[in-house]
Amino acid sequence: MSVDVLETPTAGARQASLQLVHDVQQLLYRDARLLDEQRYDEWFDLMTEDFRFWVPVPQSRYRRDSKGVFEPGRMAHFDDSLAELKLRASRWKEATAWSEDPPTRHVHYVTNIEVEPAELDGEWLARSVVISLRNRNEDEENWLGARREDLVRETPAGLKLAHRKVFVTQSVLLAKNFNTFL
Amino acid sequence: MADTLQARHASPAADLDFHRLVDVDNGWIDRRIFWDEGIYQLELERIFARCWVFVGHQSQFAEPGDFVTTYIGQDAVIAAKDRKGGRQRLPEFLLAPREPGVFRRGRQHPPVHLQLPRLGLWAGRGPARAHEEEQYSKCATFDKSKLGLHRARVGIYKGLVFATFDPDAPSLDDYLGDYRYYLDVLLDNDAGGTEFIEGNVKSRLGCNWKFAAENFVGDAYHAGWTHASAAAAIFKKDVKVNVERSYQANINGHGTEFGLDLIGNAMGLAEPEVVEYLKENEARFAERLGKLRSRMVGGMSSSNVFPNLAYLTGFNTWRTWTPKGPHEIELHTWVLVNKDMPDRLKEAYRRGVSRTFSPTGMFESDDGENWEHCTRSNAGVVTRRQKLHYGLGMDSKIEHEEFPGAVYKVQLNDANQRAFYQRWADLMSAASWAEVPARTGADQ
Repeated sequence: MSVDVLETPTAGARQASLQLVHDVQQLLYRDARLLDEQRYDEWFDLMTEDFRFWVPVPQSRYRRDSKGVFEPGRMAHFDDSLAELKLRASRWKEATAWSEDPPTRHVHYVTNIEVEPAELDGEWLARSVVISLRNRNEDEENWLGARREDLVRETPAGLKLAHRKVFVTQSVLLAKNFNTFL
Repeated sequence: MADTLQARHASPAADLDFHRLVDVDNGWIDRRIFWDEGIYQLELERIFARCWVFVGHQSQFAEPGDFVTTYIGQDAVIAAKDRKGGRQRLPEFLLAPREPGVFRRGRQHPPVHLQLPRLGLWAGRGPARAHEEEQYSKCATFDKSKLGLHRARVGIYKGLVFATFDPDAPSLDDYLGDYRYYLDVLLDNDAGGTEFIEGNVKSRLGCNWKFAAENFVGDAYHAGWTHASAAAAIFKKDVKVNVERSYQANINGHGTEFGLDLIGNAMGLAEPEVVEYLKENEARFAERLGKLRSRMVGGMSSSNVFPNLAYLTGFNTWRTWTPKGPHEIELHTWVLVNKDMPDRLKEAYRRGVSRTFSPTGMFESDDGENWEHCTRSNAGVVTRRQKLHYGLGMDSKIEHEEFPGAVYKVQLNDANQRAFYQRWADLMSAASWAEVPARTGADQ
């Protein structure tokens, strides 16, 4: 199965209200700021318990190849449950996490936000573009741009992220590591 | 004609005394080998254009016409399965294209064939090609059979596909030698053989390729301190090496440092099913590999096949350190699994390796930091004057009744790094393969 990032979901009768679009935007901005500030526990609070985070590695293939640029089941940068993301983040909190100390200076830039109805009532598809800018030590600088598809769920505690797919542009990650989320 | 087309350019660095730069008898290494552009250019000639270099796993070439693009040194190559023949008649072949970087793997029915946009004479069809052929038929100096892509020698060892551009290189079996005993720990512990999980992760590190290779060939020492944070997060305690039951072994510059603990590395995946699998199958592994090797299948270990293929038992990550200059590499990582393993276990390996040994992984991010700083610090002339110490475990060589090669007691040891650099100096000093001594352990 190929994953087409341009695929448009079947439009239901529902439409996102201005208020909802505003709320989703605020959620995504808060999400970006919490990552910039490396407040991971608060970032995890934005997610539902069944949250899945998928960041596949793009493959450069001919247009006529039936296998896609992105496909599930391949090696991925991330293909994690919430618990597994928390395990990763727990390393960053250790005093011996050498590559995190001094800390990286992060900017997560979020733009191009669109909100559409998802399949189930109470769920919305939020598309966005994110650019991660990292600067470390003296002069190490890395950029990574990506298009995102988030499943946003209405819960008693407000809007939460239930599923995030991140489609990065780099097939060779032009950095030695990737020490944040997107 | 051959002289015109494939002249070898001697580098000024060829006159250096590499066995002095790499003093393995006393355990000192001159830092210039990690920094100097001339030495690097000679490495491309005498290491990468000469050795058997890993280009893929047979499982990536299931159908005729399947191909991947990769690099041997800085030469861009296409590794492809011949379109005409099946597995019986023609093995995979390998070509070096003139235009790097535009191809990726194609595999489907009907197969997606290679596109060679600037090689109409070779790959084109129809009137355009006929027109080109007509023009070139009047050109006296043009001999199509002597131009085009270079065919490499291809060798396969239990699923791993290697290639060399040197016609004088020994056979792949001789090149690997008795190191095959150690390779079999992962390649031959199950009757069904192995495969790569589809896809790989690639990243760029600002380091000399040898720092990565030596890290995997024998640097057990760094693990406890460098990876303390990952160990604390995953194991909730420090990782200790078993001094009495751990070893280093090397043959022809290939090396492995290992314990006999069955699950030491596998625990790091944080995938309990993998550990269960190893425990349940220990006896089956022993039927194929013998008792001692069955204890290595997921054990605490790291290994490097000279020059730039590395792997970890337990994690089952395989990787290449592809040089992009004296101070940069491209790291390619794959996951190797037993073909007959249940899908849920393959999935555990796939996701576990992403979480540990990939650019986003909990172990790998600290390694990259080390290798970059080990490389960059050599920009300083005063820094460069001070040789690096590789003298740990000088007296630790032992005779072992089963383990082949040069065998050393205790994983915390520089023995394999010395052997890696000895092989490096052997190749860098030699004008041809005939001058390269075999390093089987008897003379070390």
